[in-house]
Amino acid sequence: MAWQQKILRVNLSKGSCDIEPLNMEWAEAYLGSRGLGSKYLYEEMEPAVDALSTENKIIFATGPLTGTMASTSGRYTVVTKGALTGAIACSNSGGKFGGELKNAGYDMLIIEGKSDKPVYLHIEDDKVEICDAGDIWGKTVWETEDILAAKYGDPLMRFAGIGQAGETLCRYACVVNDKHRAAGRSGVGAVMGSKNLKTIAVRGTVGTPAASREVYQKINEINARMNDREGMARDGTLAMMDVTNGFGSLPTRNNRSVRFEGANKLNPEAMHTPNPNGHTNIVTNGACFGCTIGCGRICKIDPTHFSVKDRPEYQGASGGLEYETAYALGSACGVDDIDAATFAGFICNEYGMDPISLGGSIAAAMELFDIGAIDESTTGGIKLEFGNAEALCQIAELVGKGEGFGADVALGSKRLCEKYGHPDLSMTVKGQEFAAYDGRSMQGMGLAYATSNRGACHLRADPYEHDFDTTEIEGKAQVVAESQRLVAFMDSSGLCLFPAGCGWGTEDYCELVDLVCEGDWSTEARMVETGERIWNLEKLFNLKAGLGKKDDTLPKRILEEPADVGTGKGLVCRLDEMLPEYYAINGWDAEGVPTRDTLSRLGID
Amino acid sequence: MDISVTLFGGLRHYLPAGSSFNKCMIDVDEGSSLAALLQKIPVPSDKPYMVILNDEKVASDHFDEITIQGDDEVVLLPPIKGG
Repeated sequence: MAWQQKILRVNLSKGSCDIEPLNMEWAEAYLGSRGLGSKYLYEEMEPAVDALSTENKIIFATGPLTGTMASTSGRYTVVTKGALTGAIACSNSGGKFGGELKNAGYDMLIIEGKSDKPVYLHIEDDKVEICDAGDIWGKTVWETEDILAAKYGDPLMRFAGIGQAGETLCRYACVVNDKHRAAGRSGVGAVMGSKNLKTIAVRGTVGTPAASREVYQKINEINARMNDREGMARDGTLAMMDVTNGFGSLPTRNNRSVRFEGANKLNPEAMHTPNPNGHTNIVTNGACFGCTIGCGRICKIDPTHFSVKDRPEYQGASGGLEYETAYALGSACGVDDIDAATFAGFICNEYGMDPISLGGSIAAAMELFDIGAIDESTTGGIKLEFGNAEALCQIAELVGKGEGFGADVALGSKRLCEKYGHPDLSMTVKGQEFAAYDGRSMQGMGLAYATSNRGACHLRADPYEHDFDTTEIEGKAQVVAESQRLVAFMDSSGLCLFPAGCGWGTEDYCELVDLVCEGDWSTEARMVETGERIWNLEKLFNLKAGLGKKDDTLPKRILEEPADVGTGKGLVCRLDEMLPEYYAINGWDAEGVPTRDTLSRLGID
Repeated sequence: MDISVTLFGGLRHYLPAGSSFNKCMIDVDEGSSLAALLQKIPVPSDKPYMVILNDEKVASDHFDEITIQGDDEVVLLPPIKGG
């Protein structure tokens, strides 16, 4: 069994650090990571609390496979009430932090209370201390890691923390680990900042509980089944840009269009091809702990580019554009400058911001500027026009620092557009900015956005194949509901979702979980039931937090303004036709509330 | 006549030798159907893809009905998932 069966509970108000046993009964029902973390949050906390209050808790949860030799086993989830959404936030990250936490002897870290001064948490196996962070508060993520790595002198120490965006409570501040991997969505970094917790430094030598040699041999056999990895290694997720642009589902200029004329300047070809100065954006690919795919982009900005000229600290190689970043900091803002988008992405990692929400919020600000709702007197002299790459970079830094108009953009698109009198221009669900797919040409994705428990998200369901096959809505409610369950299970295993696109099937996830957990996890039936249980629990959290059917919706633009070009030309998202069917498939009533029978079937009290 | 064909993502693995980053020119007879053109592109039959003709997706049941013109641009897209 790969569980440590231990939780580290830290109360920042009391200054206490306690080790307690993992509730294995709950692990049987909710697996780990996202599912088990959500169960703890649901049981321990009143969902109606203010996300930025002392009462909110923030949980760092690994899965049973985290830290094992299964491929992509570096995943962990940050579970809390989201500062951006007011909904449950389950923000997943890779890198090496999750495996290190497990190796230090903990399945889960629960942070509660609030420190009265900035602190960081230092964990080395069973030595745990809350340390003064006076000398690192106000520093970037990168500076913080460098200072503490030098202090402890251990190159294998891992960090998960916030930059200035988390400190200033930017609504979409994220938790960054390993300098450029992030639990990105829903504002989990703002929650950390609200607790005056700067970072978590962890080093583990306990190791992940060893299974038998036979188990490891079987894991190796399953790893070898992932036999379609080359495309992801070469192009990363950025390969999607040509697909959505060709199909006509690449959100462009705050979803005014679904096709971007500058996509060929942001796509894999652009990333791999030297520019006129002979500079190539991509340096190499990168991989998280135990990953055999390596989808990460490690990139460099042309040193003569305006964003980094005379700023050598940004001229090195770091985490580059993934598809979502390239959309949010590219097409969403009408920017086709790959170096500018890369720079804005660097700023997100450095200051600790979700690039999807940053890009979505800047795109909304650009539309407010375009229609005259704000002007240069609002923006501090910045001509915030669609396509203005310099403005994108300027605003990104201002948001990171919480300065000037950046403080408004840090509110997120929803609050920003409400403040300036145009709430319909916010491309959000439950306050969270859209990912890189338009819900008119991809009707299933529209339903997935509307019903996602953590707000608009492309990783809570898997309607891709169905959506690229047809824009007709028949069958989409079923695809979305079923895939939400599968994804919930996968997220809770401690593995990444991407192997499912690189040769693994759901049976491989089941077999791996079965190898490291007690009991029979080998069947897809248990996978589906566990995922459904997690999905319903998250839904219950949101209902108790005050969210309801009114929040399972999409912006007016997606429901009423037809897509302008492409496969979905002339279409709006037919959400009102799909939603009742989706509720019924889930065993929910007409208001989207799980029925007593459904909860009873799933064993939820 | 030569038709411009672009293969995105992992499909460009199957470009004929001498092609540019992701483009090739495929020679077909005047009046050829889209289906005939696709048969000349060396993508294995077990690799699914979407076809975009002049910026619009074409359903597979229309491949035989469409006659290729000299200035057509054909794009093949692999079915990949998001991230």
